[in-house]
Amino acid sequence: MLQFIIRRTLSMLATFFVVSVIIFLMMHAIPGGPFDGYEMPLPDNIKAKLMAQLGLDKPLWEQYVRYMWGVFHLDFGVPYQSPGETVMGLIAHAWVPSLVLGGLGVLIGAPIGILLGMAAALNRNSWIDYLASGIATLGLTIPVFVISTLLILVFAVWLHWTPASGWGEPRRWILPIMAYAAVPLATYARYARSAMLDTLNKPFVTVLRAKGLSERRIIFQHVLRNSAIPMITIFLPMFVGIATGSIFVEAIFRVPGLGAYFVSSIQKRDYPLEMALMLMISALFCISYLISDILYALLNPRIRLGGKAR
Amino acid sequence: MTDLSAAGPALPRPGSAKRRSPLYLAWRRFAANKAALGAGIILLVIILMAIFAPLVSKTGPNEQAFLTKALAFPSSEHWFGIDDLGRDFFTRIVYGARVSLGIGLSAAVFSLLLGLPLGALAGYLGGRFDWVIMRIIELFSVVPPLLAALLLATLTRGGVWAIVLIAGLFGWVNVCLLVRAQVKSFREKEFIMAAQALGASPWHIVWRHLIPNSVSPVIVGFVLAIPLAMMLEASLSFLGIGVQPPTPSWGQMINVGMNFMYFYWHMAVFPVLALAVTILAASLLGDGLRDALDPTLKGR
Repeated sequence: MLQFIIRRTLSMLATFFVVSVIIFLMMHAIPGGPFDGYEMPLPDNIKAKLMAQLGLDKPLWEQYVRYMWGVFHLDFGVPYQSPGETVMGLIAHAWVPSLVLGGLGVLIGAPIGILLGMAAALNRNSWIDYLASGIATLGLTIPVFVISTLLILVFAVWLHWTPASGWGEPRRWILPIMAYAAVPLATYARYARSAMLDTLNKPFVTVLRAKGLSERRIIFQHVLRNSAIPMITIFLPMFVGIATGSIFVEAIFRVPGLGAYFVSSIQKRDYPLEMALMLMISALFCISYLISDILYALLNPRIRLGGKAR
Repeated sequence: MTDLSAAGPALPRPGSAKRRSPLYLAWRRFAANKAALGAGIILLVIILMAIFAPLVSKTGPNEQAFLTKALAFPSSEHWFGIDDLGRDFFTRIVYGARVSLGIGLSAAVFSLLLGLPLGALAGYLGGRFDWVIMRIIELFSVVPPLLAALLLATLTRGGVWAIVLIAGLFGWVNVCLLVRAQVKSFREKEFIMAAQALGASPWHIVWRHLIPNSVSPVIVGFVLAIPLAMMLEASLSFLGIGVQPPTPSWGQMINVGMNFMYFYWHMAVFPVLALAVTILAASLLGDGLRDALDPTLKGR
């Protein structure tokens, strides 16, 4: 087991290293340097001095090492859009709304999705099965910004039930949380359904039935426990994956979270912030995959003994 | 020598009356799936409208022919109303289908061009080549496609072809994995061993035997890549770094429509519905094709 963990960790570190190099190189592929844009061009010797001061005259690999050295000390530089603070400081206050929204969205969406998926699996080919599949397909195919626009139109513009956007009182959270919850709800409805069906078709369930166990005990004690494994292991990657959806939700509902800053960093070409967010999200993805691999191996001995994950 | 087939009419010749081609069986499975069939018909209508857009509407997509009636609500004359710049909104939506479907199809072709040979070779050769391909795919799985696409789109400053390239870059992974799995399961079959024994080159085996046997995962991968690319295009255009105006794109129209929707609902409703219906139809069609062509993949 320890060997398995070490091997997965090393391979994830290698993956993250390559990703960080690619992101770094992409940022350097942008034409133009930091001192090229002035109306009065700087004299060459001053420009050279400035570049030397900032370490920009060094070879690319050395710049990469310096940057990553800073990253490991949580120093991502200064964002162009608000030079008064550091990227880290900005992220420190921006992640709160994102976490509140994303957390509530998952906490609301995932249980509903699981219940829906379970109900669908237990009543195959009934109306509830079709409803669950329909909701899952809608939630997974329709872009988040389309769902958000529809939510605003229906609940804010036509029904006047909720404010259209903003952040502050919890009343304003309702629509963004609904938009956030769509993806976890759909994901879990689909996963729970297929996991339950998988388990229900296993021979051991037939044996339990033959033994004369009540259907309720079979479902709650045996089937649920066995189908929980895939559901647990997709939780973390899905949670991080919401970060992508949050970009649109936050931009549309004007929530001052990480996603909104990501959009403004793109529109304002704020490269230090953009790079920091990309690196952080990739790192979170790496870590969450690693943890879910390990969890999967812990929960499912067959994988561990087989020696290969996924 | 007696003619065996003349032995008697009582024995039905095997497979003469009831022979069914795999394609026919697949079509029957597909037609039984009402959702997929309906989605296919809807998509066909949208495609036809996109192709014959100039016949569907009299004005061009960028003609500001109705400036005096700007922002007018839908009427019998202008089905979807007029937009803020005096253009017939129905025309814009129809021409938007051209952009959306065009990008979806080209990106799917591009994903296929990358994913098919790489997946087939990785599956057939195995070993080091397979290892490298799988590590590359792992890289793609760690970076969320939308985030990376946003970054790439800012670097390239958007534009139709940049989006096709970006969508293809992230679409090939699925095609590659599907083809690789299929090829891997066929590699050990007897007819491949026979070909190897006859001295066929790896390229010949992959091209003549393994790829033709991977037609169904290839079709499935191709069709499922279309809605993904359409979604990417709409998302990027929505953020203003995708297809640039005045080229009509649904994502871009939703972005504009959001600023008007508190008073002019038609500006947001129609592009949102057009995008949702088309993407939904394309993915339902893909799911249906997958279930019909390869029942073993069902529910994946």
